[in-house]
Amino acid sequence: MNERKSLIKIKPKRYKDGEVVKVSFMVMHPMDTGMAKDKKTKEIIPAKYINSVKFNYNGKEITHMIVWESLSVNPVFTMYMKINGKGKLTVTYTDNTGEVHEKSKKIKPKG
Amino acid sequence: MQRRDFFKKLGTVTAVAAVMPAMSFAAEAPKPVSPNKMDFKTAVDTITGGKTPVKSNKVKLKVPEIAENGAVVPVTVTVDSPMTDSNYVKAIHILNGKNSNTRCIDVYLTPANGKAMFATRIKLGGTQNVTALVELSDGTFLIASQSVKVTIGGCG
Repeated sequence: MNERKSLIKIKPKRYKDGEVVKVSFMVMHPMDTGMAKDKKTKEIIPAKYINSVKFNYNGKEITHMIVWESLSVNPVFTMYMKINGKGKLTVTYTDNTGEVHEKSKKIKPKG
Repeated sequence: MQRRDFFKKLGTVTAVAAVMPAMSFAAEAPKPVSPNKMDFKTAVDTITGGKTPVKSNKVKLKVPEIAENGAVVPVTVTVDSPMTDSNYVKAIHILNGKNSNTRCIDVYLTPANGKAMFATRIKLGGTQNVTALVELSDGTFLIASQSVKVTIGGCG
């Protein structure tokens, strides 16, 4: 699968330079633990889960996460970020089967 | 003596068979084992390198007392910290108590985060503790735990 639906949300939508805003990253992913059985086939569903998420803001990695299979399906990652100039926030995430994806959002402080 | 022992053994076998009627005495299908299996104590020791974490009110762990659905349990960890270059929260680790893998997530923060907070949703296989294990920039570890009652287990 090349594309995964994901979303970066910033709260509040309008922010000033120096403000600390809430950042949420959400992605559609099964987060299968490798322990559950398919209800129809009775076979074990192989483990497939996001295992890392990195947040890069204007070339600097501000946060990185090691993610385990205990996170819920379609995981959400919420944290805070200090606005430090116009630019781009890029989220790079990988899963245990080798998928690598990137999602970006422009950072445009007003005032 | 012999007859008593015989009936004792028979009783045990009968009791065991009564408790596990679905399982045959021959080969059982092995239960799936998580490749990341790690119990709580080992997880804490691995993260702290053997240091003892200190219970602290500076760590605010928000989880529901009762989770209707163990598949989606919201967790929020907030730490009272100035998040300056010399004094910040280096990492927030979220752990469960009884899942096969007690590690949920390791979040490495920097002063650029501005505030020490992390929120997500986790799966809990049954009633157990959720723990926030926090590493500060000075190398110390803080800890806070709370029990979550799970009505429907969330691990499939």
